[in-house]
Amino acid sequence: MSGRPIIDISGLSKLYARGLPALRELSMAVERGEFIFITGPSGAGKSTLLRLILLQDRPSNGRIVVNGYDLSTLSRAQVQEYRRGIGFVFQDFRLIPAKTVLENICFVAEVLGMTESQQKRRAFQVLKSVGLQHRMSAYPSELSGGEQQRVAIARALTSDPSLLLADEPTGNLDPDLALEIMNLFREINAGGTTVIVATHDRDLIRLVGCRTLLLDQGTVVEMA
Amino acid sequence: MTWITFAFREGLASIWRRRTSSLLAMSAIAMAALVLSSLLLVTSNLERVLRGWSSAAGFSVYLTDTARSDQRGAVEAAVDVSGIAQQREYVSKVDALNRFKREYAELEALAAALQSNPFQASIEVLVKTERQGGADVEALVSALATLPGVADVRYNREWIRRVTNGLSMVRRLGLLIGLIMTAAAALTVAAVIRLAFDARREEIRLMYLVGAPYRFIRGPFVVEGLVQGGAGAAVAVLVLGVGYRTALAWWGPTLASLGAVDVARFLPVPLMALVVLGGAVVGSACGFVVSRRTS
Repeated sequence: MSGRPIIDISGLSKLYARGLPALRELSMAVERGEFIFITGPSGAGKSTLLRLILLQDRPSNGRIVVNGYDLSTLSRAQVQEYRRGIGFVFQDFRLIPAKTVLENICFVAEVLGMTESQQKRRAFQVLKSVGLQHRMSAYPSELSGGEQQRVAIARALTSDPSLLLADEPTGNLDPDLALEIMNLFREINAGGTTVIVATHDRDLIRLVGCRTLLLDQGTVVEMA
Repeated sequence: MTWITFAFREGLASIWRRRTSSLLAMSAIAMAALVLSSLLLVTSNLERVLRGWSSAAGFSVYLTDTARSDQRGAVEAAVDVSGIAQQREYVSKVDALNRFKREYAELEALAAALQSNPFQASIEVLVKTERQGGADVEALVSALATLPGVADVRYNREWIRRVTNGLSMVRRLGLLIGLIMTAAAALTVAAVIRLAFDARREEIRLMYLVGAPYRFIRGPFVVEGLVQGGAGAAVAVLVLGVGYRTALAWWGPTLASLGAVDVARFLPVPLMALVVLGGAVVGSACGFVVSRRTS
């Protein structure tokens, strides 16, 4: 598998209601261990592309192969198995407000089948990797936006994914915190995890400096 | 077995969080189970009584007051020749009156006031078990009715058949009502579980996205339905048991005086277990369907 790209997309199209295209004949490949930005104006198709990779939606046409899984052929149970190899981070963090930081992580670890001692060990590891091991008993409402996003990243790392998807992860953060989060993604990437970040923040992309896919009206207009 | 622990912990916590609506769902299941188990109790007892009567089924040939001994002999000979009788007994007018006095002691004054003996002499025939309900018995009964000296022939098989048919209709009607109530109860349980699902929508969405196996996602809802259904049915059996005890305390002496102390028996343990299991199955099926349809 090492020679093959982790993501291989060919002829991907997605039409929404009334035939409006979100993606048009998109083809791309992402190599294992790569860090890639997907950028473009609002409505360019960035989030749609990530939703299709995460199988939250089905393409109208085309083929997506991720981690050796051809997404068009997966059964419901296989979809869940496939998702266990992918971490995701959203703009709005999506933490469970009634659970502490530790419980948020342990919840995911538990539903992935880990025993109680494994859950706690894994939670400590991932929280340490994002520098939040000292805030384990805090509730999300007691954390800053940057801290909440770091918890969300820690949660995404719980299953030790080979691919991490982030959809506008810095959209709710100020520039300094945004850069801090990006540096965290770089560290995760340095550990061997493939990272794809969808963002419209060109300044941030310039500061980080990675391969960038520019989308406009559902199609790739530039690769840099 | 992490998922079982998870399913029970989350399912029970959900029941506790929505205890009022959970109580409503359990009550609905309890009502349906109560109707069905009451029906089982009544029909199983009546069936047992009818089986007892059927096994002792026979007919009585009533003789006219002017019947001569040769006419009585002809009747007895016809019965014997047919080979259907397990037992044959002649009951004279005097025997019939004495039997009435013995069996209805409270009406002794009425019997004493009689100017003449109104009872008829009869020949009582107990039909062999293997011949009961046969066409030859029916033919014999018809033939005996035409013999001289015979006033009437009463074949109790006929009314047992009528009672059995009536019982069968009651059972079907009760089953229909029970099924309708079960369907209504299932809808209530499903609605309550749906509420639980909506309350945990964000958690469930997260579970889908991280790739949690379906047993983790659906397990808590199946457990919630299982507990509501099982507990509701168990309450129904308990209520029925209390009702049965109370009824026996009230009507027991009357039944005993009628020689029917053994008539009423409570549901056997396997049947009680079946009722509780049925409730649990209906409840858990609701949980499974709701979690599947809303996913």
